Amino acid sequence: MATLTLTWQRLHLGRWGLLFVVLLLVAVPLPQFFAPERNLVTDSLLFSLTQMFILITLASNWNLTGGLTGYVDFGHAVFFGVGAYGTGILMGQPGWEPWPEALTLWSFWPAMLVGGIVAAVFAVLLGSATLRLKGPYFSIAMLGTFVAMRELVRVVRPLTGGGLGMTLPPYLNRPLFYYLTLTLAGLVVALMWWIRRTEFGSTLIAIREDEVGAEMRGINTTLHKITAFWIAAFLSGLVGGIWAYQNAYIDPDVVFLPNRTVDMVMMTMLGGLGTVAGPVIGAATIYWLRDVVWSNLLLFHQIAEGILLIIIVLGAPEGIMGVLGDRSATSLPRLWRKWFPSTSSESEQPA
Amino acid sequence: MKRGIKVFTIMALLALVFSLLPGQTLAQEVTCDSEVVVQADDWLSKIAEKFYGDVLAFPAIAQATNAVAADDESYTTIENVDLIEVGWKLCVPSTADAEAMLNRSIGAAMAEVEFDGIIRIGAAVSETGSLAQAGEDTREGYDLWVDFVNHEYGGIQVGDQRYGVEIIYYDDESDADTAANLVERLISEDQVQFMFGPYSSGLTMSTSAVAEQHNIIFIEGNGSSETLFERGFQNLFATLTPASFYTRSAMDLFAASGVQTVAIAYEDEPFSASVLAGTQIWAEELGMEVLAVETYPRGATVAEIDPIVTKLKALNADVFVGGGHLNDGIAFVRSAKSLEYCPQAMVLTAGPNFPEFAEELGADAENVLGPTQWEATMGWVGAYLGTPGEYDRRYQAMFNSVPTYQSAESTAVGLALHAAIEAAGSMETDAVRQALRDLDIVTFYGPINFDDTGKNVAKPMASGQIQDGVFTVVAPSDAAVADFKFEPLSWCDG
Amino acid sequence: MNLSDLILQAVINGILIGGFYAVMMLGFSVIWGVMGVINLAHGEFLMVGAYLTWVLNRQYGIDPFIALIVVLPAMFLLGYIFQRILINRIIERPFLIALLVTYGLSVAMASTVKLIYKADPRVTDTALTGFWNLSDGVGIPATKFYILIAALIMMAGLYLFLQYTRLGKSIRAAAQNKEAARMVGIEIGQVYAITFAICIALTGAAGALISPTTSIFPFMGPVLTLKAFAITAMAGLGNIPGALMGGIILGLVENLIATLVPGVGSNLGITSSFILLVVVLVTRPQGLFGGLKPAEAR
Repeated sequence: MATLTLTWQRLHLGRWGLLFVVLLLVAVPLPQFFAPERNLVTDSLLFSLTQMFILITLASNWNLTGGLTGYVDFGHAVFFGVGAYGTGILMGQPGWEPWPEALTLWSFWPAMLVGGIVAAVFAVLLGSATLRLKGPYFSIAMLGTFVAMRELVRVVRPLTGGGLGMTLPPYLNRPLFYYLTLTLAGLVVALMWWIRRTEFGSTLIAIREDEVGAEMRGINTTLHKITAFWIAAFLSGLVGGIWAYQNAYIDPDVVFLPNRTVDMVMMTMLGGLGTVAGPVIGAATIYWLRDVVWSNLLLFHQIAEGILLIIIVLGAPEGIMGVLGDRSATSLPRLWRKWFPSTSSESEQPA
Repeated sequence: MKRGIKVFTIMALLALVFSLLPGQTLAQEVTCDSEVVVQADDWLSKIAEKFYGDVLAFPAIAQATNAVAADDESYTTIENVDLIEVGWKLCVPSTADAEAMLNRSIGAAMAEVEFDGIIRIGAAVSETGSLAQAGEDTREGYDLWVDFVNHEYGGIQVGDQRYGVEIIYYDDESDADTAANLVERLISEDQVQFMFGPYSSGLTMSTSAVAEQHNIIFIEGNGSSETLFERGFQNLFATLTPASFYTRSAMDLFAASGVQTVAIAYEDEPFSASVLAGTQIWAEELGMEVLAVETYPRGATVAEIDPIVTKLKALNADVFVGGGHLNDGIAFVRSAKSLEYCPQAMVLTAGPNFPEFAEELGADAENVLGPTQWEATMGWVGAYLGTPGEYDRRYQAMFNSVPTYQSAESTAVGLALHAAIEAAGSMETDAVRQALRDLDIVTFYGPINFDDTGKNVAKPMASGQIQDGVFTVVAPSDAAVADFKFEPLSWCDG
Repeated sequence: MNLSDLILQAVINGILIGGFYAVMMLGFSVIWGVMGVINLAHGEFLMVGAYLTWVLNRQYGIDPFIALIVVLPAMFLLGYIFQRILINRIIERPFLIALLVTYGLSVAMASTVKLIYKADPRVTDTALTGFWNLSDGVGIPATKFYILIAALIMMAGLYLFLQYTRLGKSIRAAAQNKEAARMVGIEIGQVYAITFAICIALTGAAGALISPTTSIFPFMGPVLTLKAFAITAMAGLGNIPGALMGGIILGLVENLIATLVPGVGSNLGITSSFILLVVVLVTRPQGLFGGLKPAEAR
């Protein structure tokens, strides 16, 4: 027991780490209580939780570039989409003649992995161009990429099925997807936590706070930025593949859904930009809100969500974690000052 | 930091308040107007009958009982509303509370009919989001059938017993993920016996997959895209004419009028793609040449449509067949007029059959053709609901609006299940599935006869034309009310 | 019609819609340039203007072009109110906040309009219709030509306002350097309010102009907002002549690709406009033509 406590303290896991482990201990054996007749843990609950884990993973990924490195990516869902389509194409049989036989009818696991890799490669190529932009320009460039990719997928009809979409072999195994997404979510959160504690993480934060200064100190900012970028892209690509398989159908509009990026941003902001627990809390909160609260507001829930977003952003920009005193939450005014030094004024909120 | 805490506290309180609002998915504070101990030969709907005079009010009793059972062990938690046991204590809420729970008024039902049970059906439809309009039509179509069965027909006949029907609805928000999730919930938690489909091929795609995986029969009337039926599903049945047949009767008209070339443009999404793929097949069959096939993105505006119209104008095909949804249908007409594109005839796949088309476009809409699944002027005569005219009157009395074909095909969904259960004499999935396969009936909506993949191959797709501002059925001949007018569009010279 | 005719018609279409694009995005661009706010609800304001025009058209039979007389001041007022209630709170805050707040606003606006008017598409009627044949099927669509004229007039008006009136100069001063502007006695709060109101009025007017040519529905906003982004990137913040050039470039690119590529042309047209956006941002983020703000050093 003493060794456990000692290790705990040495790893700086703290109270959030404890919560995390407790949640894992609850979540992992959950499907064992699977008993639809007793209305306890049903397929539906597993499905709901799976979707929540997917949101948590995506929000955390986004946080890596957005919160930690300070590059607010408004088109991150493009990597989700690339992963989804990568997986879909490899698992299916595109009607395009030049497509090699060897790249068709794969099984799920390799397809998902390659989908993620393709997303990562795409991120490296894209990032080398767009990561040179700063602030809102980067955000818009990524948004443009997202829209362009959606239409591009539609255009490349022989390969992707165009607007008609592609079906994937259907496979119902809710517990499997549950564990898969739970594992991925757990890994991603652990990864974020670990990155924060390494030099890589500190460098990313340094880039966020003062990129020019970091460069002058000899840090290869480009390498670091692109690394964070492709890691996030790879993981989101994996999620895309999983989602595609579970949904058994993909088309450009259902995959490249603008709301996905907005969700990621909103959840991370709610939870706390740049923190480890932030995206998790934000994702869980918004998911709960949607499932439980909105269902009673049927006609008005979209309006309510829009207004809620406004309230969160204006009232508590540091997010929940910031409110709870997490010092690692980034300060948006600091981000702002870095990009537009000439326009800062006394009306800003202190960190 | 302080302000942040204040904001969050307020929001948390608000959320708490909202979650306590009466709603069908959450428990609430309940007081029992009466307590009942279950006797021999009791069942929930009988008790509901006794207290409210409404057999269909039993879910309120179940809900109330379960709510108080959480705190008070003398009450039993009801897990299966069809199975209650002697000696159980039930909580009967006041009529007002029950009405709040059920979201409708009680006692409206005819108290004379006592059902031997209730068939539970689930449906996720779009109450909100981009498909809300058609989603509402869909739900009204389903509701009309429910009302008919419960209040007029006296319950579906299963052997010598009669069953009422109940549909549990959720709002899928026009979103595929939400729809799939809700269907999952309907099947796993609400334990429905059958599923009715949502509106649109896209949503039907994912929801039918969930039902198939749980081996629940899924009948729909609003998803016609061919890809739905290419997945080898056993439990999917669709009452509407499949997408590829949409333009058949119009193409027949053209062939008969000597048309030789066709230009095609459509919105790049599954439904329209299916329709226009079919068009190309008919063109080939009828010996017409397709000069171009153009696509445009979803949500296209004049900026995307003008280039297409320009291209088509250059090609000068005899007729134009195309479209996607009402939005681009209207945009097409405007664009064609502004660029003076004058094909001899124009078919828009989703447009002319909607009253808004003629309303908004006025004189511009004249002579435009469009397919329709059903119109109130057609001549079918069905066993349950009579003729389209009678359906129209019934619908208007119930909902105070004119039925669209979305409503009609949804009611047909109910009728298909209805007929199948009665033919099978059972509610077992396998028996009903076989009965659906063997079904061959005519309804107010048209003939229903499913093939092995679940498509209704017996029902022809009609074509209508805007004549004097009114959408008039002109083909096929046994459904036509007037002749096809092969005349120029309103902005073109003769 | 042969190939050169096709190209000519595409060019005509491109220029006409380009002019419209310019007036469509100017409001967005000036708000960003002056107030630093990226208004993601831009398309929704345009949509509101379009609906307002539709109501006037259907209920009172007013032609959309004439309806501008009502739409401009009405949208001005709407913009002023929104600025005071909401936008004021997000100026000078980090840009992410503005993005999220205006996104929330866009969702709320679209849903509200849908509740009132339902999702059915609408269109207005104008008397200014027709097609002026130039040769062999190629010609100029009359309505769009008049839209271009109206757009040019409004843009010229805005330009003159900003260049030569006192208020206009105050706005430009505030955009360049807020502190200095304050120091010479310019009341920034009022300047912001007027700026926002003018921009919303312009955007609403664009909605009125487009209403006879395409279908109006509550969710038509986002596509237009994205195009506004693209043109702003090309034009530079708050740059009016740049906006015209940028709008026409976008219009030409879209139309030429869409018209000349068979089959998937229109899809490719939209793709190319966004690829163009990304390329411009990466190579020349201050825009092709400079803007209200001097180029930021990187």
